[in-house]
Amino acid sequence: MREERHPGQAKIECKDITKVFIQKGKQRVHVLDHISLDVKENEFVVILGPGQSGKSTLLRIIAGLETPTEGHVRIDGQEVEGPGPERGLVFQGYMLFAWKTVLGNVEMGPKLRGVPKKERREIAAHYIHLVGLDGFENHYPHQLSGGMKQRVGIARAYANNPQVMLLDEPFGQLDAQTRYFMEKETARIWETEKRTILFVTNNIDEAIYLADRIVTMEGKLPGRMHVVYRVDLPRPREHTDMAFLKLRHEITEASELTL
Amino acid sequence: MVDIANEIKQQVQERRPLTLAMILTNRWFLYGVSMLAFFLAWDMAAVARVFSSGLPRPYEVVLQLWRMMFDPLAGKSLLGHIWASTQRILIGFTIASLVAVPLGLMMALNRYVNAIVKPLFDLLKPMPPLAWISIAILWFGIGETSKVFIIIIGTFVPCLLDAYNGVRLVEPELYDVIRMLGGNRRHEIIQVCFPAAFPAIFAGLQIALSIAWSCVLAAELVSARSGLGFIIILGMNLSRPAMVVGGMVVIALVAWTMSQLVSGLERFVCPWKREIDSR
Repeated sequence: MREERHPGQAKIECKDITKVFIQKGKQRVHVLDHISLDVKENEFVVILGPGQSGKSTLLRIIAGLETPTEGHVRIDGQEVEGPGPERGLVFQGYMLFAWKTVLGNVEMGPKLRGVPKKERREIAAHYIHLVGLDGFENHYPHQLSGGMKQRVGIARAYANNPQVMLLDEPFGQLDAQTRYFMEKETARIWETEKRTILFVTNNIDEAIYLADRIVTMEGKLPGRMHVVYRVDLPRPREHTDMAFLKLRHEITEASELTL
Repeated sequence: MVDIANEIKQQVQERRPLTLAMILTNRWFLYGVSMLAFFLAWDMAAVARVFSSGLPRPYEVVLQLWRMMFDPLAGKSLLGHIWASTQRILIGFTIASLVAVPLGLMMALNRYVNAIVKPLFDLLKPMPPLAWISIAILWFGIGETSKVFIIIIGTFVPCLLDAYNGVRLVEPELYDVIRMLGGNRRHEIIQVCFPAAFPAIFAGLQIALSIAWSCVLAAELVSARSGLGFIIILGMNLSRPAMVVGGMVVIALVAWTMSQLVSGLERFVCPWKREIDSR
């Protein structure tokens, strides 16, 4: 199942990305080392790695919130030069606006881009429905559970109709049960409205359940890409499926060598 | 909808039969007990002359206040004196908050403003507002201006500090959200900075309000012909403890009412905080 970089038109193209943080003026922290990764249109790619493997930094670089020390990111051939609405980012800590209702949070993207009120209400209603939060439009974030908060986070990112969705350990703060539900929901949402997705996680099951392709990171800094796996299992997937477990075993074996 | 049903938090109210233990542990019952005990102890202390003739009985205080409603002191009824103090606070408090809150926000948002204002502010901050009373009287005389000036000095610090800190403590990733959604610096300030700082600003206003009452009292005690501080100092000079205690009680009531008004304003401006507070 191992695979090299594949040819063809890439939606996201990362070329030789290296990132060095400079702390306190002197100390250099080498976080990413020559990462190259292409993601095809409507492909679901999961970056799998333990904590401190640089995977979130890679996502923030693709989002445009960090600039790479070397290399570049292109979306549809356009070089990324900063954050922008054509990429939707879902945060690990939800990062909802506590002073806005669910509706207010979801319609924020269209609002900032100057979409008229009536239109953005329709857009927001559509995505609130997509993530299954009908009836919660006027709730404030503190009235929602963790899973529901992240549904708002996903709807808010979707509402700008981005070509690329970036999810940074979106379910890291949820309990196992809710996390499982949310993985199923993510698969459902993606099948309903296909987008190119780059999903960062440290959870192997989550990766195999969701991904078309899994990119594993080495478990130490500087972060390097380790192995790329293609996941050809039919959807919806079952965690107890033999092929699922076999792939899980293969990834675990390979990862342990690097930890 | 089915699969999120398990995530919805429900608050269930159980109905139980009324028992003696429930009455004894009831919040409102305990409030009543504690208030009653306080006034009984006060009355007994007054009757036993613990402070010789310095402590009036509670009903004497009520009577004194009732009398002051109709018999003017220094040309003003009790309501007139309440209004005199309240007016000074409203003027000083309004001026201070209208200047200090925007200034605090600007200090947090712009490092040049911060670099210019911060050292001056740090220099004046540790000085107690009451230390300004004498110089205020020398500058502005014993009229209204010097009292309002003291209130402005006293309330300026908490208004500015809390607005400043409110913005500084905003979760920085929220700015990333705005940027990713297509917003610019102006959107960051309007959509994140201001609303996120509102609760801190209101906390500052509450503190400022209680400081304003201390300031107006101190100023009225030093020199005034009206106000609640004037009633207290007059009662002391006339050896009428009921007047002194009456003045104290009215101050507490008026200050409490104003603080409730600010809380009400906060609930209106920050509706998202309503349920958090009531838990």
